[in-house]
Amino acid sequence: MYFAMENLDAARLQMAITLIFHIVFACIGMVMPFFMVVSHRKWLNTRNPIYKTLTKSWQKGVAIFFVTGAVSGTALSFELGLLWPEFMKHAGPIIGMPFSLEGAAFFVEAIALGFYLYGWDKLPEKFHWFTGVIVGVSGVASGILVVAANGWMNAPSGFDYINGEFLNIDPVKALFNPAWFTQALHMTLAAFTATGFAVAGIHAYQIVKKRNITLHKKAFKIAITFGAIAAILQPISGDISAKDIAERQPAKLAAMEAHYETKKGAPLYIGGIVNEEKREVRYKIEIPKALSFLAFGDFNAEVKGLNDFPKDEQPKVAMVHYAFQTMVGIGTLLLLSGILFFISLKKKKWSNTKTYWLFFTLLAPMGFIALEAGWIVTEVGRQPWIIHQVMRTKDAVTPMPGIKYSLYLYVLVYLTLTVAVSWLMMRQIKALNETEY
Amino acid sequence: MIYVVLFFLGFSLLLYVLLAGADFGAGIVELFSSKKDQEITKKTIYQVMGPVWEANHIWIIILIVILWVGFPSYYNILVVHLHIPLTIMLLGVTLRGVAFVFRHYDAYKDKSQILYDNMFKMASLITPIFLGMIFGAMVSGKITIPEHVENESFKSMFLDSWLNIFSLLVGFFFAALCAFLSATLLIGEAQEGNEGIYIKKSTTAIICVVIIGFITIAYGFFNDVRFVLDFVKSPYAMTAMVLSALLLIPLWYSIKNARRIKSRAFAGMQVVLILYAAISTHFPYLIITSTRALSIMEGTAPESVINVLGITLIIGSLVILPGLFHLFKSFKMIKILER
Repeated sequence: MYFAMENLDAARLQMAITLIFHIVFACIGMVMPFFMVVSHRKWLNTRNPIYKTLTKSWQKGVAIFFVTGAVSGTALSFELGLLWPEFMKHAGPIIGMPFSLEGAAFFVEAIALGFYLYGWDKLPEKFHWFTGVIVGVSGVASGILVVAANGWMNAPSGFDYINGEFLNIDPVKALFNPAWFTQALHMTLAAFTATGFAVAGIHAYQIVKKRNITLHKKAFKIAITFGAIAAILQPISGDISAKDIAERQPAKLAAMEAHYETKKGAPLYIGGIVNEEKREVRYKIEIPKALSFLAFGDFNAEVKGLNDFPKDEQPKVAMVHYAFQTMVGIGTLLLLSGILFFISLKKKKWSNTKTYWLFFTLLAPMGFIALEAGWIVTEVGRQPWIIHQVMRTKDAVTPMPGIKYSLYLYVLVYLTLTVAVSWLMMRQIKALNETEY
Repeated sequence: MIYVVLFFLGFSLLLYVLLAGADFGAGIVELFSSKKDQEITKKTIYQVMGPVWEANHIWIIILIVILWVGFPSYYNILVVHLHIPLTIMLLGVTLRGVAFVFRHYDAYKDKSQILYDNMFKMASLITPIFLGMIFGAMVSGKITIPEHVENESFKSMFLDSWLNIFSLLVGFFFAALCAFLSATLLIGEAQEGNEGIYIKKSTTAIICVVIIGFITIAYGFFNDVRFVLDFVKSPYAMTAMVLSALLLIPLWYSIKNARRIKSRAFAGMQVVLILYAAISTHFPYLIITSTRALSIMEGTAPESVINVLGITLIIGSLVILPGLFHLFKSFKMIKILER
């Protein structure tokens, strides 16, 4: 196959970039409906018009992000095949179940959103509110199903791989693959954390700027409550994931921890600079025996190092290690900030300081940075495999040369979309601040 | 169970063509309107399409998922050989969707509207053209699947199959059909006094459909496009075509008199007949390459997969169809129910 190497890199980059953008749109479109229905409920209960204004403003956000997420998702459903035809030819039928269920869930979401957005003053109040709940629930269901399909790539199951053929396919077993639950739990909590802190951060900034403070404080409180609870729960899910990866994908774990030598009672490295040529990590903080404990629940357990894996089955260490450090670091920061928020509910004077609001403003992008870093760990950490231990990424790529041009096109489109959506959001907030009561 | 899956494949294709087709058509109607009418059209299509357009477009996701799960070999040929037109079509779907939402949800209505409008109109035209071209490429026998990839040029493998006059004609035909569907739909939705705009548009569009359709068949016939040769010989396709020609008369009458339900019903029937004629000609051999006709039943997924897919589709449709029906009904898209 001609241009295969160059094509592979371009295809991987295009997939990565599309996913990086799609994940942001999809998470916001999936989590924001929950903020919206809470605010809507408060409007129904209190009849305080601020909540109605807030709900209507958030619903515009939901509509814009839902559509951007939906169209980039449509593009992705094609891109899977356009870029990785060999993968889809074999994997498509096996992981068809989560995708067809996802299609159904997504359909329900679109129908419910149609009712919700256009149902003001037309539908019975309670039913109208309930359609908003369905938007949120079916959105989360879609998210879980798509992540389950990704879980299958990490923990392929539900088939027998004999002489290069996929036989005895069991789609139900493939859907409930060993990784589906840990990944779905981790991702759902991550989506709530990232969106919660991002939305809260945007409203915090408005408070710093002293614009429409009453409304933005109410908005902040709803969003941050979701984000903080999710951030506080996340370490439990992280621990389950780590133990799962230690067992099923030891090479990924070794790359995450930049762990080269197989050791009993392996230390945990924090930070450090990876030298992939010399295969060593410098300037790190070492916590003795911690890695063995975190991975296997035993301080003296043996952790397999990368040197004991065949050379052509090792992922890139530096990228995976740095991404993992970023994710855990930010996760910890958001966990502490979540606790800080709950304390501030008791200590009211904290929230009267500008520093408090400035602090939460700065946290706005953090959740999403951690979330993207987490996906880098999952995806780059699985390389060179597209289906773990079954199919290599280079064998899945399209034979069509010149993918780099498609890459340029997608980058251009997604960058434009991001700029456009951000600009629209700024205008929404500006209009919101000009609203009179 | 494979027939259940095939039914849903056809069903989603039909609904996509009807619903998304009308949706694309709305942008085309807007594109070919005078400045004053454009504003009216913009408002009308927002009222009609606003609540439902997103749901209309999900049919293509269902379609593609059924294809890749149930018919992986078929899907594989499409994504490898029609990579470029599929990408352009996707780009159209993306730009059109965001433009539609941006122009209605932007907090300020200022000069940026011009940009959204243009994006919406252009993408509404390009997307159905490319959808038609993809169908044209599938059936015109120009897809080359070589045994040795190395011997083939980029052009012969990835361009020739879809970048040709026949495919382009099919593309224009589909775009005209979309415009016709939409204009007919809008007659019944326009505010009083504005129906005239859409009666005129609908008439123009149906004339375009007939003319382009005729040119497409004539071109195919004289250039030995296998699909067309088989099309004119197929008794099913020809029956459907004769029926659709006969139906033009009551259609014309009901459009002229602004009978909104009848004209919609006749317009829908036209599309069903055309789609039926196009599919039935070669069914189940829906892809014709330069060397042979490929049946959709070749290389289907194993039975266990088809069974699960079929059951999922049945359950899914039980949840979705009532919801969708209710959505259309609530926003008065189904007028018949009011009588």
